[in-house]
Amino acid sequence: MANTETLAFEIGTEEIPAFDLKNATKQLATLVPQALDAAGVPHGDVAVYTTPRRLIALVADVATETEALTEVFRGPSAQIAFDAEGNYTKAATGFARGKGVDVADLELRDENGVQYVFATKSTPSKPVADLLPAVLEGVIAKLSWPKSCRWGTTSEQFSRPVRWIVALLGTQVVPVKFAGLEAGNLTWGHRVLAPGAHEVASADQLLDVVKAAYVVPSEELREAVIREGVAKAEAETGFKAELPAKTLTEVINLSEYPTVLVGHFDEEFLQVPEEIIVDAMLMHQRYFPLYDGEGKLTNKFIIVSNGDPAYSGNIIEGNERVVAARLYDAKFFYDEDRKQALDKYVPRLNEVVFQETLGTMLDKTTRVVKMTARLVSDADLFVDQARDIARAAYLSKADLVTNAVIEFTSVQGVMGSYYALASGENERVARAIAEHYKPRFAGDSIPADEVGQAVALADKLDTICGLFAIGQAPTGSSDPFALRRAAIGVLSILFAGFPISLVKAVEGSLEIYFRGGLEFDSGKVRDEIIQFFIGRLKAILKDEGATPEAIEAVLSTGVEEPMEIAKRVRALEEARKNQPELFEDLAVAFTRANNLRDASVGTSFKRDLLTPVEADLATAVTSAQSTVGKAMREGDFAGALAQLATLRGPIDAFFEEVMVMDEDPAIRENRLKLLSRMVGVFSTVADFSLLA
Amino acid sequence: MNEQARSQEQNLPPTFQQVIMNLQQYWADAGCVILQPYDNEVGAGTNAPATTLRSLGPDTWRTAYVQGCRRPTDGRYGENPNRLQFYYQFQVLIKPSPDNIQDLYLGSLRAIGIDVDKHDVRFVEDDWESPTLGAWGLGWEVWIDGMEVTQFTYFQQVGGFECSPIPVEIAYGLERLTMFVQGVDSVYDIVWSRGADGVTFTYGDVYLENEKEYSAYNFEVADTDFLFQEFTDRERDCKKILAAGLPLPAYDAVLKCCHAFNLLDARGVISATERMAYILRVRTLAKACCASYMLHVVGMDVEDPGIAFAKELEEEAAAAAAALEAAEEEEAAVVAEVATSSCGVSGCSASSCAGCPSANIEPKEAPRG
Repeated sequence: MANTETLAFEIGTEEIPAFDLKNATKQLATLVPQALDAAGVPHGDVAVYTTPRRLIALVADVATETEALTEVFRGPSAQIAFDAEGNYTKAATGFARGKGVDVADLELRDENGVQYVFATKSTPSKPVADLLPAVLEGVIAKLSWPKSCRWGTTSEQFSRPVRWIVALLGTQVVPVKFAGLEAGNLTWGHRVLAPGAHEVASADQLLDVVKAAYVVPSEELREAVIREGVAKAEAETGFKAELPAKTLTEVINLSEYPTVLVGHFDEEFLQVPEEIIVDAMLMHQRYFPLYDGEGKLTNKFIIVSNGDPAYSGNIIEGNERVVAARLYDAKFFYDEDRKQALDKYVPRLNEVVFQETLGTMLDKTTRVVKMTARLVSDADLFVDQARDIARAAYLSKADLVTNAVIEFTSVQGVMGSYYALASGENERVARAIAEHYKPRFAGDSIPADEVGQAVALADKLDTICGLFAIGQAPTGSSDPFALRRAAIGVLSILFAGFPISLVKAVEGSLEIYFRGGLEFDSGKVRDEIIQFFIGRLKAILKDEGATPEAIEAVLSTGVEEPMEIAKRVRALEEARKNQPELFEDLAVAFTRANNLRDASVGTSFKRDLLTPVEADLATAVTSAQSTVGKAMREGDFAGALAQLATLRGPIDAFFEEVMVMDEDPAIRENRLKLLSRMVGVFSTVADFSLLA
Repeated sequence: MNEQARSQEQNLPPTFQQVIMNLQQYWADAGCVILQPYDNEVGAGTNAPATTLRSLGPDTWRTAYVQGCRRPTDGRYGENPNRLQFYYQFQVLIKPSPDNIQDLYLGSLRAIGIDVDKHDVRFVEDDWESPTLGAWGLGWEVWIDGMEVTQFTYFQQVGGFECSPIPVEIAYGLERLTMFVQGVDSVYDIVWSRGADGVTFTYGDVYLENEKEYSAYNFEVADTDFLFQEFTDRERDCKKILAAGLPLPAYDAVLKCCHAFNLLDARGVISATERMAYILRVRTLAKACCASYMLHVVGMDVEDPGIAFAKELEEEAAAAAAALEAAEEEEAAVVAEVATSSCGVSGCSASSCAGCPSANIEPKEAPRG
């Protein structure tokens, strides 16, 4: 093995956006070893370090020379390689060219009695230092960014302008070139704590130089510093911080040298709904709110600074002024908004577009109100519930045109709820306004009562049906209206027991659109939407542990109502679990009958042609036909399965003793009719052939 | 002793006008052309032609200027300490963007009395897009101790054209910045100037009345019929100017359209669907101005938007002429008919004219002069 050196590579940039940086960090960890391997550079472990202003890859034990290689390739046989005159054919010259050797250097060798041409390719050992510029330039070019920019007079692109490059193999500078820069041995320190250039004597020292220049060089290390600081702040204040993942990632990647500080705001602002304050702090300022022992928001909050810890007082004071201004705004909006009753805002929803073709939020509100009326009637709810549902539906979007929601978008619904209470609406209506967006994400709870549930269903169905009607169903990764999430939300509410038919609701929503003048192929759209829901349902059932074959067996009967599908799949899986042998047996028998069956003969068998075993089966089938039918009509799917199970004995006996394909055509046909009857009984329940 | 020296001697923070003058001096020293504010209503310093149009083309361009910005919907009748319907930006545009631009920017903060070493200065992702200008860029909002004081953007595209080389734009919010420097919590408490005799003028002294009156004007008084008409007239004017191959005055017409639209928006008379249509109309004009600028000023081989507009206007004129002719014929027919009636009302016959209202109308006074 040749000598090895450490390779240090740093791309110095202007501040890269937090999430793009997180993604690039992952990319770098695979791009660097890939590029080295592709160039045949032997190397050890690759470690990646990143901050908003730098991407660093450190590679241990990089060989200073590549290994010399001798490779032998077998080409075409002599018969093919030479023409009649003994000259190389195109096949031979092509082979040589493909392997990068001269035709004249091809050799003839014998292998198992056949002559072939062989090419021997020798790759001499090369100095790695010569290969590295291209390797590292390739890494820069291959990093992909959601958005990238040009700068100055360069044509190259990167997330943000690149300002310096360090590339060292041991102590030797690797002259990597990018966007008018050439790599050197100078890195830059923290903007204010260690400004300017810092020399890096050798690759092994890069990380130490960077650390000494007040840079905490990786996401993990900065997270640890922040978490430690937060813990200390919690201990000092006696409060508890909330660190949502999104804000935490941003904060980790918004500083090179994080310091955790505690600020406070005037207690007067705690009169403003907590949600607005939290939104202002988390979303706008990237502060972490602090909560007291009872989980109530306090007037203290956590700041993560990138400044000099020696001037923390200054920095806290500045941040406190910003929060005060923001909260002043919030309070101003909150007070302004309450000067009018919530229902006065509803007409102004005509200023907010829901979707270009589907109209404004006011149009949506009108449809949602109509939709809730249909749900109420289908679910057979009480009059007072119906009144609350209609009222909540009417007010559900009104807060979208209030100042507070325009300014702090994440508090939609919640603000409407506060304003509803302030306008004298009852608590169920207010809560439904806040909760009708639920479930907002996977695993989120559903609205607490049927008022919120009805509005949530109507709102989500209106969105799904409207977008399908105008041909904007989600495709691949594109789902701008989050229809998949909405569909899962609808299903979760139905699973919780909201007693309606989804198929009817979908048809109802489409009818509302149709009557509103929207033109679309209602049959086709209806089927697409039902299939869309069934698609989501399948995923949910699979997550529960249902097998794909059980799901397909149930679906094959043409049942469309998702709750019914779920019930049948669950019952079927339950039955198969409890009596695996019996259902396996039934499936095999069914499949056999189904394969033999000839639908053209009909099902009216003649009793007098039956042998005793056949007669037993006939009796059992006829009886099952009525009991299974009754159970299915009553929605007792488990009961239907139990009835089918009783057929096992007679079926097994039948197949054991009876030769269906009798020579006598009359007997054969009669037996086929009997089998057809039996298959028919099974088919109303599920396609058992899929379970065999 | 000048104002700045007095402030320093008394250990007082710089006044609003010192902040402006220091920024001007700093960027003048950095080689920028210091322009005076553009004399047309704009919503942001970016919209002034010195940024929008001058971002296009290969020539080097460096400028810095104060720009008063009008955002009619942001008016709060002078009652909100952080929000104004008229406020000032300090705009810097440098093409191509210099390599040390972030350090240059930090230097400008030092020049107005912000010791960046003692604060938390951060560059927080904030990409900029202006659909009406067909423009976008990548950059940050700059925070000082959590307060957003500057927009920092590398323009990538303007008017639908790729920028080459790339300009960098720095837009300071002057009121925010000065509130930070002076440590005041209301924009109206900003000290604008401080005389040798101790007489100071605050931002409130200068602009509070303006905010009150303009908020009332923007939200309650502005004549919407007039503004709708103005939008249409300016739009037509813009097309005419572009047909004549003059992108600079045409761009002024676009700014007038924008302002008329913003006022209509503040008056709450533009519905959601109309809004999109208006924005599209403005975008068409703005992009056409950029294309015209590329053609006539930069000298690039792009399609002249003026040709299509000239044709459109010609057709419109022909249609109007036809309509006029038809109207004249109609009128002639009516006159002929009236000549047969006694009271001058079309269709009136003398025998049934007893209740004819025109019978009582007194003769009009002859126009004077």
